[in-house]
Amino acid sequence: MIAPEGEPIEFIYKGRKFHIHAIVSRWRESGGWWNRINDGNSHLNEANIFDDGARAIWRVEAAPEGALNTFEIELDEITKTWQIRPTSRPL
Amino acid sequence: MKSAKPFTHLRVASGFSFKYGTAHTHQLVERAAEFGAQSIALTDRDGMAGAISFVESCEANGIAPILGVNLSFIQKKYRVTLLAQRGYLGSLYRLVTAINMDNDENILTHNLLERFSEYSKNVLLLHGPESQLALAVSNRQISNALSIFNSTRELFASQGIECVSHQIRGDGPYSTSHAAKLLGFAQDNSIPAVLSNAVRMLDRSDGPVADVLDAARALVPLSARHIERKNSEAYLKSAPQMYAIADEISRMAGARDGQLLIKNTNDWAERSALSPRSDVGVGQIHLPEPSVVGAANRSELEAQLRARCEAGVASRYAGSQLVKANERLAQELLTVRTLGYETYFLTVADITDIARAKGIRVAARGSGAGSLICHALGISGVEPMTHGLLMERFCSPLRGELPDIDIDVESARRLEIYDAVFARYGDSNWGSPGNKSRCATVSMVETYRARHAIRDVGAALGIAPMEIDLIAKSMPHIRSKNIAKALENLPELKNLNLNTPILKVAIELAARLDGLPRHLAMHPCAIALSDIGLQDLAPIARSASGYPMAQFDKDGVESIGLLKLDVLGVRMQSSIAYAISEIKRTTGTELDIDRIPLDDAPTFDLIKSTRTLGIFQIESPGQRELVGKLAPETFNDLIIDISLFRPGPVKADMITPFLETRQGFRTRPVIHVDLESILKETEGVVVFHEQVIRIIATLTGATMAEADERRRELGTIDGQQRVCDWFYPSALAKGYTHKVVTEVWDILRAFASFGFCKAHAAAFALPTYQSAWLKTHHTAAFIAGVLTHDPGMYPKRLILGEAKQMGVAISPIDVNLSSTSYLVEDNGGAIRIALSDVSGISAEEVSTIISGQPYIDLADFVYRAGAARPTTEALIMVGGFDQLHKLGSGGINRRDLLLHLQDLYRLNGAKNSINQSQMNLGFEPPPLEASGLPNLTSSEIVKNEIDILGMDISSHLMEFYGEFLNAIGAVRSSDLLKHRSGSSVLVAGVKVALQTPPIRSGKRVMFLTLDDGFGCNDLTFFESVQGDYAEVLKNSWLFLARGEIRRTGPRGISLRATGAWELAESYEKWRNLTVYGAAASE
Repeated sequence: MIAPEGEPIEFIYKGRKFHIHAIVSRWRESGGWWNRINDGNSHLNEANIFDDGARAIWRVEAAPEGALNTFEIELDEITKTWQIRPTSRPL
Repeated sequence: MKSAKPFTHLRVASGFSFKYGTAHTHQLVERAAEFGAQSIALTDRDGMAGAISFVESCEANGIAPILGVNLSFIQKKYRVTLLAQRGYLGSLYRLVTAINMDNDENILTHNLLERFSEYSKNVLLLHGPESQLALAVSNRQISNALSIFNSTRELFASQGIECVSHQIRGDGPYSTSHAAKLLGFAQDNSIPAVLSNAVRMLDRSDGPVADVLDAARALVPLSARHIERKNSEAYLKSAPQMYAIADEISRMAGARDGQLLIKNTNDWAERSALSPRSDVGVGQIHLPEPSVVGAANRSELEAQLRARCEAGVASRYAGSQLVKANERLAQELLTVRTLGYETYFLTVADITDIARAKGIRVAARGSGAGSLICHALGISGVEPMTHGLLMERFCSPLRGELPDIDIDVESARRLEIYDAVFARYGDSNWGSPGNKSRCATVSMVETYRARHAIRDVGAALGIAPMEIDLIAKSMPHIRSKNIAKALENLPELKNLNLNTPILKVAIELAARLDGLPRHLAMHPCAIALSDIGLQDLAPIARSASGYPMAQFDKDGVESIGLLKLDVLGVRMQSSIAYAISEIKRTTGTELDIDRIPLDDAPTFDLIKSTRTLGIFQIESPGQRELVGKLAPETFNDLIIDISLFRPGPVKADMITPFLETRQGFRTRPVIHVDLESILKETEGVVVFHEQVIRIIATLTGATMAEADERRRELGTIDGQQRVCDWFYPSALAKGYTHKVVTEVWDILRAFASFGFCKAHAAAFALPTYQSAWLKTHHTAAFIAGVLTHDPGMYPKRLILGEAKQMGVAISPIDVNLSSTSYLVEDNGGAIRIALSDVSGISAEEVSTIISGQPYIDLADFVYRAGAARPTTEALIMVGGFDQLHKLGSGGINRRDLLLHLQDLYRLNGAKNSINQSQMNLGFEPPPLEASGLPNLTSSEIVKNEIDILGMDISSHLMEFYGEFLNAIGAVRSSDLLKHRSGSSVLVAGVKVALQTPPIRSGKRVMFLTLDDGFGCNDLTFFESVQGDYAEVLKNSWLFLARGEIRRTGPRGISLRATGAWELAESYEKWRNLTVYGAAASE
C-alpha cells in the first residue's frame, strides 16, 4: 500500500502484513548501467530510456503486531517492482 | 503559467560546464519557465561562455537571468559559487577575468581577492557542499568553519551557505544529512542559507550522459570508482519537488519546515536577478571612443570621416563619375550619421591602414564591398558603383545591428595584424584592477559532433580502440544524432557488425551528446573591439596562443554590440604578395596589382582555356568545368561565375537557363521592361541579393533599405507570407498588372534563398582576377608564389606540371642557388625549387645553408652548411650538388658523391663532429673520384624526387607507363575534347584530389581528379559504382580509370566513371599477359 506521495505505508513480507511505523531514512540510487549492456537489448526500455537502475529506498520501522522490525524497501523505478529486505536492527 | 510558489535555481551548470553539464542553456531556461520560475541562474564551472545565449533565452521566455560561476577556491578540490549582484555584473566579469589571467586552473585565491577586492566586494559568494567550509562543518570543526567564513567576510558583498540534497545514501556531500548539518551551522551563526539542487542535467534520465562526460573529462573508462554520480537527482526539479527537499533538510536540522530556506533563496534570487538590457548589454552598441581615432567629439568624428571619404573619392573618380560618386557618398554618410557608426568605419579603416603601413596586403570581403565609404577609405578594393553593389545590403538604418566587415590578409602575416591591433587597442597590465583593453579575440565553442561523440563514448565504454577508430574516421562531419543513419550508408563499414549491444548503446549515447559544447577555443579570425568598458561587458580568458580572448563567441559579442572584425588569413594574398616581390626582385618593376585594368583580354583567354590551376576560387574540378561552360569575358562574368558555383544554385539548376540564354540556345522571356536593367546581366536568372533588393524596390516603390528588410524576411515561410501580403498590393498600386506581379513574385520566392551577395562575390572575384592576371603575365613569379604559400587544393607536383606546360622550366634544388622559397630565375623562364621542401630539413638548416652560400664543393658544404648528414644525402640524391660538381659532363655521378660524403664523415669521424674549426685546422678532404658505379636510372631519380620532395621534377610519373598506356589506348587529358560525348574511354594519372562533398539528398558522390602530365581528368563516381571502387579510390595513388565522356560546354568536359584500378597492378597484369602471350606463341 502506497501513500499518494509515493511513500510506502504497508507491505506483505513472508505472508505477513506489516505496517510501517516510521521511516528511518530514505535515499535514491542509480548508475552502473554500463555493466548491464552485454545482456542483450535490455539497455533501453520501452520509452527508449537507459536502464539506469534507478531505485528509491526507504529504511523503515515496521511491525505485524507488536513486534517492531527494520526493513529496507526498494522500488525499481523503471519496472515498478518492489523488494523488501529485513535489516538486523534500526539505525 | 506562474506558479503560486515559485522556486529559483541558483546553481545550474549547463553544457558550457565542459564535459560536466548535459543540458543546453535554452533547454534549462525553457524548463524553468514551464515550472513558473521568475528567474534562473547559470553558474557554469570555471567559465561564463554560455552567458549570452542563456540571457537571450531568458529574455525570450520572460524570466530574469542570474549569472554566476562555479570555481575552485583556495585549492583545486574546493569549489564555491559566485553570483553577480544586480547592477554589478561588470564586477563579476572583471573578477573572473582576473582569475583567468592569473592562473590556468581558474583557482580563486586570497591573494587575488585582495588585489581585486574592488570587484569582489560587489559579488555574492555561496559556500556549497564542495567548499572547504562544508568539509570543516561535516568534520565538526565548527570554529575552523567559522574562521574560513570570516576570512572572506570583508571581501564579498554577502556570503551564504548553499544546502543541496540529492538524497544520496549516508551523510557525505549531497546527502540530506550533510545539507542539514550545513543548515544547522548557518542557523547557529546567523548566516543566510539558500537551497539549490546543484543542477547538471535537465532530466533524471540524463544520468548516463553525465557518466560519459565524467569519464571523458577524466580520460578513464566508466567504472563505479570514477563516477561522481550516485543517483540521478541533479536535474532541474520543479518548485514542489524543491519545496519538499527544503522541508526534508530543514526538519532534519530541527526546523518545523523549509520556509526560511525557501525565503532566503528567493531573497538571493531577487538580489541577483539581472536585466538583459541594462545589466548584460544585449542589444546595445559599444564602439571605441572618438578619442581613439583622434577626435574630441562626435562632430569632429563626422568631419574626419567626411574629409577622408571625400579625399578617397576624389582620387578614384573623375568627371561625371566623380559627381555621381559624391552624390552616393553624401547618401551613405547620412546613413552612417543617423546610425552613429562613424567610429565603426574609422576604426576598421585604422586597422587596414595599420596593415598597409606594414606592407601587408588587405582586402575586404563580404557585403562591406558594397559601400562606397569602404572603398574610399581603402578598406575594400572593389569599385561598388560599376558593379551595382548596394550600401543597403551592408548597412541600413532599418537594422539595429552593427554591419559586418571581414578583411582578408596575407595568411603568413595575419598574426602581425593581431599584434598591431593589440598594441594599439589593448592593454598589457592584467595584474591589477582597472585594465583598459579595448580589444580581445573572440572564442568559438566546439560542440560534440559525430566523430568526437563516438570517440568519447567508445573510450568511456571501453570499446576496442581499433573499432572506435574505424567508425570515427569513416564518419563524415555530421551531427552525432545522425550517426546511426550514416553508418548504414558507409560502404567501408559493411564488414562491421553494428548490431552488438555495446555498439548500439554507444551510438545511442553519442546521439545524446549531439551539439553539447565540448571545448572553448579561440575563434580562428575574429577580433572584438569596444570602448574602454570592454571588460564590464565580457569576461576575458587567455587563449592557448596567449591572446586575451572574450569568453563569448561571435554571436555573443554581436549581441552585446561589440565591433566584431574578422581578420582572415588568405594564402592567395600571401602568394600574390610573394609574386609581386619576385617581380620586383627580378625586374625592378614595382607592380601595383590593385590598379591593373580589369578588362585584360589575355587574362580572360587564360581563364576560358580552363587552365586555372593555382588561380583563386576557380581551380577546382567543378569550377574548371563551370568556367569552361560559362567562358567569362568580363570581370562581371567572374562575379557571376563565383556566385553560381555554390550548392544552392547548383541544386536549383540556375546554371542551365543562364548558360542556355547566354549561348543563344534559348530566348529569354522579358517580364517587364522596368526589370530589364536589373535582370539583363544574369540572363534573366536572379543570382544576386542586390537584384532581389532592386526588383522589390522597383515594383513597390520601397526604398532600397526597406527592400533589403523584405528580402531578409523571405528567408522563412512565415516571412514569405508577410512579404507576399505586402508585395501584391504595393506592386498593383504602382500600376503593374497582376500577371507581372505574380511572375515576379514566383521568381522572388523561388530564388531569394539561393541568392548571393554580389558585393561578396565581387570581393572574391578581385583576387581571382588578380591571380589570373599574374598567371597570364608573370607566370613564373605567380607559380613561385603559389608553390611557396600553397594556397590551393592541389599538391605541388601538379602545380609544377602546370608550370612546365606553360613553358616555365623547373630548376632542381641547387645548394648554391636554392632559397627558403621558390625563386624566379632566367628572366621568368624558370623556377628554382626551394630548400624548405626537402623532407626532414629543419628551418634552422635551411637558414644556415643559405647564409653559407656559395659553397665551392661538397666538402665545403659539409663543413660549413650546418646540415645534418641525412639532409646532405637527400640534397645529393635530388641533384642539389649536380651543378656544383658538373655532374652532367661525364666522370663522377650522384653515387660517387654519396660515397664521397661517406669518406668525409669517415675521415672526420675520429675527430668528433664536423665543424668549422676542423676546416681551419687544415684537414685535407679526401679526393673525389669516379668510382665507376653506374649513375642512378631515371626512374630511380624520379623515385628519389617523390620520396624527398614529394614532386616528380625530372620526368612525369606517368612517363614510365607510357608504353602500356599507348598499348591499351588510354586517352591523354588534353585529347579528351577530340572524343565524342557519350563514348567510353580509358584515362590514367596520379591522384591529385578525391573529394566527397556532402550532398543534401544524402547520396554520396566522389570526385576524383587525375593528373597525367598533360592536364587533368575529372571523374565523377556516382553511388552505384562506389561500392566496387571506394576502397581503391581511397587507398591508391596511381590510377587507370574508365569513364564515359560528357561534353558540357565549349571547353567543358567531365567523365562519368565506370571503373578505377590501381595502375601498377593493371600494368603488371598487362606485362604478364604480354610475356605469357609471347611465350605461348613461341
